[in-house]
Amino acid sequence: MSDDGHHILPKATLLKVFGGLIFLTVLTVAVAYVPLGPLAVPVAIGIAATKATLVVLYFMALRYDNPVNALTFTIGIIMVMVFITFTMIDTAFRGDMGNVDRQTMGEIEREQEAAQQQQEQIPSEQLRVAPADYPDDRGADAGAASGDSDS
Amino acid sequence: MSTDTQNTAVAQPDEHEEGENYLNHETSVWSWLSTKDHKRIGVLYCVTLALVFLAAGVLALVMRAELSGPGETMMANDTYNQVFSMHGIMMVFLFLVPSIPAILGNFVLPMQIGAKDVAFPRLNLASWYVYLAGATLTIMALLWGGVDTGWTFYTPYSKTTGGGVLWMTSAIFVAGFANIFTGLNFIVTIHKMRAPGMTWNRLPLFVWGMYATSIVQVLATPVIGITMVLLILEQVLQIGIFDPSLGGDPVLFQHFFWFYSHPAVYIMILPAFGIMSELIATFSRSRIFGYRAIALSSVAIAMLGFLVWGHHMFVSGQSVVSSIVFSLITYLIGIPSGIKVFNWVATLYKGSIWLQTPMIYALSFLFLFSIGGFTGIMVGVLSVDVHLHDTYYIVSHFHYVMMGGTVVALLGGMHYWWPKITGRMYNETLGKIAAFLVFVGFNLTFFPQLVLGAKGMPRRYATYADRFTDLHQLSTAGSGVLGVGLFLVLGYALWSLKYGEKAPANPWGAATLEWTNVAALPDPHNFKRTPLITRGPYDFHLADEVFGGGDGEADGDQGLRVPDAAPAAPLEPSRDA
Amino acid sequence: MATDTDIAPAPTETDHHDHPAHLQHHFVSSEQQFDSAKLGMWLFLITEILLFSAMFVAYAVYRQWHPETFVAASETLNVTMGTINTIVLLTSSLTVALSIHYIQKDEVKKCIYNLGATLVLAGGFMVIKYFEYTSKFEHGAYPGGMFDPHGGHYAQLADVPFASQFFSIYFVMTGIHGLHVIIGMAVIGWVAVRAWMGSFSSEYYTPVELTGLYWHLVDIVWIFLFPMLYLI
Repeated sequence: MSDDGHHILPKATLLKVFGGLIFLTVLTVAVAYVPLGPLAVPVAIGIAATKATLVVLYFMALRYDNPVNALTFTIGIIMVMVFITFTMIDTAFRGDMGNVDRQTMGEIEREQEAAQQQQEQIPSEQLRVAPADYPDDRGADAGAASGDSDS
Repeated sequence: MSTDTQNTAVAQPDEHEEGENYLNHETSVWSWLSTKDHKRIGVLYCVTLALVFLAAGVLALVMRAELSGPGETMMANDTYNQVFSMHGIMMVFLFLVPSIPAILGNFVLPMQIGAKDVAFPRLNLASWYVYLAGATLTIMALLWGGVDTGWTFYTPYSKTTGGGVLWMTSAIFVAGFANIFTGLNFIVTIHKMRAPGMTWNRLPLFVWGMYATSIVQVLATPVIGITMVLLILEQVLQIGIFDPSLGGDPVLFQHFFWFYSHPAVYIMILPAFGIMSELIATFSRSRIFGYRAIALSSVAIAMLGFLVWGHHMFVSGQSVVSSIVFSLITYLIGIPSGIKVFNWVATLYKGSIWLQTPMIYALSFLFLFSIGGFTGIMVGVLSVDVHLHDTYYIVSHFHYVMMGGTVVALLGGMHYWWPKITGRMYNETLGKIAAFLVFVGFNLTFFPQLVLGAKGMPRRYATYADRFTDLHQLSTAGSGVLGVGLFLVLGYALWSLKYGEKAPANPWGAATLEWTNVAALPDPHNFKRTPLITRGPYDFHLADEVFGGGDGEADGDQGLRVPDAAPAAPLEPSRDA
Repeated sequence: MATDTDIAPAPTETDHHDHPAHLQHHFVSSEQQFDSAKLGMWLFLITEILLFSAMFVAYAVYRQWHPETFVAASETLNVTMGTINTIVLLTSSLTVALSIHYIQKDEVKKCIYNLGATLVLAGGFMVIKYFEYTSKFEHGAYPGGMFDPHGGHYAQLADVPFASQFFSIYFVMTGIHGLHVIIGMAVIGWVAVRAWMGSFSSEYYTPVELTGLYWHLVDIVWIFLFPMLYLI
C-alpha cells in the first residue's frame, strides 16, 4: 500500500505535520533575534530545509509515492545545488587572476625569486621569536638551525 | 506547404493499405490545426522547422557572401551584425533545440515503444502553438529593428541596444516552454506508456537518446526562461542584477545563460546520437555493439553536461579556480562521447553494410562529429582556449558538432523515416548525390575556418585582413556547395511527395516496432493491436541478406528479409488493475 | 497540461470496453493515467524549482559579496507581516492537503470547503503582500535604478551601497512567487468548481491531487524566501 500513489494520509498525521511546521516557523523567527554571528544563515536555511522536507514528505506524500517521482524531485534539487555551488566557485574567488597587467609570467617569476632570495638573506637573529630560538650564546646560524630541530 | 501536398499524395488508396491511415482519416485544415495525434504534430513541426531552417540557412549564405572578400562587399557592418545574430538565434533556439525531438521524436518515439500516443497529447499540441507564438515574437523582433547582440545576449550590451532585444528575449522565453512541454511529455511517455514486454533494456537507442535529451530539456530550459525574464526586467525596471553601472555583475548573466546553453548543446546532439544508433544498426544489419554502454552514456552526457558550462567563460573574468574546475570536467565529457563513437565503429565491424542515403549520412556524422569532438577537447583546454576564444576556430568547432552532427543526423533520420512519414520513397540516386554534396560542401566551408581561427581570425567581424582572403573565399565557395546540396534535398523531398515510389511497410528491414508492426502509412492509432515485445530492438538474425525492396508480409524467400512483427499483447494487459 | 482531463472519445478499438469516463483513449487503465499525470506534475514542479533557482543563485552571490548590505536591508522588512504570511501559507497548505484527504474518502463537501479555505488564505496572503509592497513604494524602496529610499527606517539605506540589489532581488523573487500564488488561486478555484459540479470522487481526483502538489511547491518556495529575505 505504500507505493501505489493512492495512500490516504490520516488527518492526524497532516495535523501533526502542520503543528511541526508552525513550531519551526516560530523557532526560526525566535532564533533570528539571537546573535548567532556566522551561524545565523546556516541555521535559518537549515530550519527552512527541514520545513520544506516535511512538506515534501507528508503534504506532498512523496514518502508514500512512486519512487520515480522521488527520483525526479531529487535530481531537480541536485541540479539546484550544482547551479549554486559552481556559480559560487567563481564568485567566491573572483579576481584571483592577479597578473592581468603588462608584466609577463617570466618577469613575475624572476621577481618572486628575487624576493625569495632576499627572504633567505634575512639574518637569522631577526627570525628568533621563541625562547627556544635563543639557546646559550651560539652563532646565529647554528641557533636558528637548532631551534628548528628542537621544536 | 507539404501538409497539403501530402494529403493529395496519399489520396489514391494504397494497395498495401486497407485505406485508412493517419494522413487521410481526416483531411480538413482544422483537423490538422486541432490534431492531438503525435504523428501529425510531428509533421506540423517538420513544416514549421523546415521554414525556420530555410530562413536561417539563407542568412548563413548571405553572411558567407559578405565574407567573400575583405572590406564591405554587400552590406553595412551593422547589417552584418544583425544577420549573424539572427542566424545564430534562429538556428539555436528555434531550429536545433526543438528539431529532432519535435519532428522525429514526436513522430517515431511513441511507435517505437508501442504506445498509441504520447502521455499528454493536448500538451503536445500546445507545444507547437507555443512554439509558433515564439516564432511570431521573433518576427516582431525583426520588425522592431532587429537584434545585433549575437545569439548570446551578453550584458551590458544587450541592455543598451535596440528594442528588438526585448522581443527576442520574450520569444526565447516563450519558445522555451515548447521544449519543456515536449521534454516532459517524452519522459512520462517513456516511463509510463511502454507496451507490455518493452523493458528498459529493449528500448530502441533512439528512445534512450530522447530520454536523455528530455531530462536536459526539463532541467535546463527553465533557467534560460528566468534569465530572459531577468534581462527584460533589467531593461524595463533597471533592476541592476546584470548591469555593472547599477552595481550588477555581467558575468553572472553569462553563468545563467550558459547554465542553460551548454546543456542545450546536449539537447541538440543527444537525439542525433539516438538517430545514429538506429541508422548504424539497421544499415549494417548487426546487433548494436555495447547497447547498454550507448544507452547509459547518453544519460551520463546529459548529467555531466550540467557541470561544464564555465568553459564558455574562460576569458570572461571568472575566477581561475572555477576555470580550472570547469576545464577538468570538460575533459570528462569526452569519455562517454568516445564510448559511443567506438561502439558505433564496432557495430560496423563485420556488419553487412548497406550504403543507402541514411547510412551515408551516418558515416558522414561519424567523421564530422569526431572532428567536432576533438576540436571540442582542444578548446576545453584552458590555456589553448585563451588563444582560440572568439575566433573562427570556435565557430568551426561548434558547426562541426551542430551542423556536422545534429543537422547531418537529422537529414539521415529524415531520409530513414521519410517512407514512414509520407508513405513514399525519395529518389535514392539524388539522395546519394545530395549527401555527397553536403559532406563535401560542409568540410569545404568549415575546415578552412579551423585554420583561420588558429591564425587569429576573430569571429563576428564583417571584414578581415587581406591575408585571410584565400581561406575565406574557400569557405564561401564551400557554403555554396552545401547550399546546393540542401536545396537538392528539399527539391527531391517535395517531388517524392507526389511522384515518389510507394513505400513498403519496412523498406530497410529494420527491427524496431515502427517498421515491423506499423503499416506503411501508420494507422491513426499506430497499432491495430498493441504489440507484445519479446525481443531486443536490433535482432536482425532473421534477416541474412539485404537487397532490393520487399514488404512486411513477404518475409522470406525473395527480396529483403525483414524481422518478424511482434505478437499482439493479450486483450487484458496484465498491468490493468 | 498535466491536469489533462478530457472526456475520452468514443472507443475506436474493439479491445476497449466499459472504461470509466475520465479515461483517455491512449491509456490502458486509470492507474496508468493517474501515474502519468503525477509524474508529469513532478517534472513540471522541478522546472518550477529550476526557474526559481536562478533567483536563489543571484541572492546567494550578492549576499556573498555584500553581506552587510543584506543584513541592513533585510532589517527594513516587516518581520511580523512576513511571519503572519508564512503561517497563512502553511495553513493553506494544510487545507489543500485536507481537501485531497477528503476527496480520497469521497467526502466531496468537505473537500470543497477546504479548497475554499485555501482560496481565502491565498487571497489573504496576497492582501498582506499588497500592504507590504505599498509601504515600500511609499518610501521609495523600488527595485534597482529607481531606488530612492526616504522616510522611516528606509532612510538609512540611502548610504548602504548595493542596497538596491537587495530590493531588486526582493521584488523579483516575491513578485514571481506572488504570480505563482495568483495562478494557483485560479487553478484552485477551477478545481473547486469542478468538484462542486461533481466531477471528482475517490475514483478520480487527479486534478485535485496535482493542484495540491503545485500549491505545496508555492509554499516551499515561500518557506525559503521568508528567512532569506526577512530574517537573516
